[in-house]
Amino acid sequence: MKTLLPILLGALAMVLLAVGQTMPDNATLEKLAKGQKEEGLSCTPCHSLRLVHSQRLSKATWTKELDKMVGWGCKIQDRDNLMEYLMTYFGDDKPAIPPVLSKDGMPRKGQ
Amino acid sequence: MPFTRRNLFATLASAAVTSQIAKAADDPVAIPGKRPMILHNDRPEDLETPVRYFDSWITPIEVFFVRQHLPRPAAIDNDAYRLTVNGMVSKPQELTLADLRKLPQVTVPATLECTGNGRAFYTPKVPGIQWGRGAIGNAEWRGPRVSDVLKLVGVDAAAAFIETNGADSPVASTPDFVRSLPMAKAMHPSTILALSMNGQTPAIHGFPVRLIVPGWDGTSSVKWVVRISAQAQASSGFFMNPGYRYPKYSLPPGTPARPAELEVIEGMPVKSSITAPEDQSKAPIGPVEIRGFAWAGENAIERVEVSTDGGGRWRDAQLSPQKLPFAWRMFSFEWHPSDPGYYTVMSRATDTAGRVQPIVSPWNPSGYLWNAIDRVGVTVEKSV
Repeated sequence: MKTLLPILLGALAMVLLAVGQTMPDNATLEKLAKGQKEEGLSCTPCHSLRLVHSQRLSKATWTKELDKMVGWGCKIQDRDNLMEYLMTYFGDDKPAIPPVLSKDGMPRKGQ
Repeated sequence: MPFTRRNLFATLASAAVTSQIAKAADDPVAIPGKRPMILHNDRPEDLETPVRYFDSWITPIEVFFVRQHLPRPAAIDNDAYRLTVNGMVSKPQELTLADLRKLPQVTVPATLECTGNGRAFYTPKVPGIQWGRGAIGNAEWRGPRVSDVLKLVGVDAAAAFIETNGADSPVASTPDFVRSLPMAKAMHPSTILALSMNGQTPAIHGFPVRLIVPGWDGTSSVKWVVRISAQAQASSGFFMNPGYRYPKYSLPPGTPARPAELEVIEGMPVKSSITAPEDQSKAPIGPVEIRGFAWAGENAIERVEVSTDGGGRWRDAQLSPQKLPFAWRMFSFEWHPSDPGYYTVMSRATDTAGRVQPIVSPWNPSGYLWNAIDRVGVTVEKSV
């Protein structure tokens, strides 16, 4: 556990930096974890999560997006926690993420 | 919550798990056949061209942007490929690739731009892929004219649209990607079923057969075309309504669309983008080459002006020779900043119809047609 602690502390610091607020309590973290699980279940059958994580939307706009996805056959079981998670990390008051580049997909010379 | 050792570990563990899952979901991947691209989505592929690659009139396929609405269809066998042409025609047919190759082949240089290119610049933020400057590229497309295909099947004079469907199919209950094109544009001599792009046939870009509707928004140029139907009415599917529509009357930013007042997007506006220097970059004092591209939908580019003082003074940029409808022109301007400091560099295009890029691109709920005067910030530093 002693070797794990610095890693865990680092991870927590990253999460807190991303969230930009003081340390959330256990209940909030549990909701966020549930929201994240719901994101995986609801969204990934049709698209990668990058599409979600690159957006910064208001609650009203995320609500409309979820409604659109439900209309397209998405079955969301735990909508409250999903919304909490989306607003915590991808709300319109959160900073935009810097562009992520794909790795080079060209064949290497000699291949 | 009482602060105990156990609580601390539970919190840390939970946070670590959250962080790891988020990281795994966002790990970059390689897209076969593509250089490093701005990765908006990898399944399906939504890839933006980093501006540093925009240094040639023809955009190489290995850096050409990709926008997929639905997962790519399985690889299409050229021998098994059939194009169904039906609807209001006297001789419905199933055409092979060989049939399409027998028709006169034309080469059309044309810029293809995603309708939402520049969406990330709108405030307030709108949903959709947060494209910057790079959901655009210029290629040489080659194949038969749609008008020749329609002649072959005896299209009815009363048909007002062609409806085009690609081989990509819906997931869950998403709508299929089906688009309608007014007959006048379908019959235009530059509207083609492209069988190649820069001499190649990359599946990721819709080959063996894709529609090219020059000067119109990219979404009109349906990929992996397997059916063309001549019809009296436009398709009413999602990707025609409400998808890819633009407010007839401008809306206050942040307000919802009025569905009855949304119109199908057709020709693209006049636009220029600065590709060098990059936004928030540094340059040593001395000559700095300002570069970019400009295009104007169905018109040609007449002029591009550059400002290096935030729009106070404008000077003409040099333009590449291709003054064509549909295709972009590259521009360049040699700038000699005399003092170090932070500069706002801007570009403004004018087209052959006299349209000029506006200072403000009208906000719209889907973030389409961004074409405001482009601007980048550059810090000029004293030579060391």
